[in-house]
Amino acid sequence: MGGKEVSESCVNSLVTEMVSSYCNRFYSTKPELAARRIEAIGFQVGLQLSERYTMDGSRFIDQLEAIKFICKDFWQSLFKKQIDNLKTNHRGTFVLQDNQFKWLTRMSVDHTLPKPQPDSLASAAADNKTAQAASMHLYFPCGIIRGALTNLGVPCAVSADLSNLPACSFVVRIKA
Amino acid sequence: MIVCVAVVGLQNNPLYLQSFTEADDALKLHYIVHCSLDVIDERVNNPKKTGSTMNETFLGLLYPTENYKVYGYITNTKVKFVLVTTDLDVKDADVRSFFRRFHSAYVDAVSNPFHVTGKKINSVFFAERVRDIVKSFGTNTTV
Repeated sequence: MGGKEVSESCVNSLVTEMVSSYCNRFYSTKPELAARRIEAIGFQVGLQLSERYTMDGSRFIDQLEAIKFICKDFWQSLFKKQIDNLKTNHRGTFVLQDNQFKWLTRMSVDHTLPKPQPDSLASAAADNKTAQAASMHLYFPCGIIRGALTNLGVPCAVSADLSNLPACSFVVRIKA
Repeated sequence: MIVCVAVVGLQNNPLYLQSFTEADDALKLHYIVHCSLDVIDERVNNPKKTGSTMNETFLGLLYPTENYKVYGYITNTKVKFVLVTTDLDVKDADVRSFFRRFHSAYVDAVSNPFHVTGKKINSVFFAERVRDIVKSFGTNTTV
C-alpha cells in the first residue's frame, strides 16, 4: 500500500530505553510519576494509531466491536499477532490476555537471585522483583490501549496484570 | 469547483477550515458547514431503516443549498469531514476518492507528534496536500 515499516527490534529497544530513562533518570525518586508519564505517552500514541488503523472504512456499532477491533486488527498491526484470549464479566470489564507479549519476550530474569524454594519467602521475593520490573514496561501498552479505545468512543481505564508470566493480561474497565 | 473543505472534531469543534474561492465569504462557508453538522448528527444517530448507513463512513450528499452541494464523511473516531462544492455534475466515485485521500492526509497530520489533539491543525504540509487533492478533484486521477 505504500506504508512505511519500522524494524521490530528497534521499536522494542526504543520502548525499553524510554522506560529505563523515565525510571532511572527523569523520575528516579518518584516511580509513580514515571509510570504516569509513560502511560500518558502511550495514550497519545494510541490516539494516533487508532486514527491510522481505522482508515479502512467499516464503522463500529457498539463497544464490543471496538474491543474486538483492538484484540484483532489493532494488535495484529502492532505486534503481528492477535490477543489470545478475551474475557468479560458483561458488566463493563474486559480482560485481554496475551500469552507471549512481544515487548516482554526478550527480557531476562535476574538469575543471581536465590533459587526459589517452594512456599518460601525467597521465591515470593524473586517473583515480586521480576513482576515489578516487568510491570513498569507495561504502562506504555496500557496507555496505547486506553488511547485507542478513548478515540473510538469507549472511555476506560486500563491496567496490566502479571500474575502468570509469561502471559500478561490487560484489564479494561469501561467508565459508565 | 470545490469551494471549501472542513474538518470537525468529535465535539463539533472546528479543526480545519479552508476555502478556495477568491471572494471573502468565509463566514457564509462557516455557516454552511455548521448547518451540515446537524444533518450529519441526524444521519448518524437515526440511521434510515432501509439504508445501510450504519457501517458507512461516506455519508453522501447532505443537502443541496441554493448554489452549493455539501458532502459529508465521518471516520471511526467520530471526526467529520465536510466538502462544499459548486459543481453541478459531481460523480459519487469522485467524492469518495476525494474523501479517501483527504482522510489519509488527515491521519498523517494527526500523527505529527507536535499536533495537540483537539486543537486546530496548523501543519503547512497538510494545507499543501489538501490544496493538491482539491486541485485534482474531478480530473480522473488514481490515488
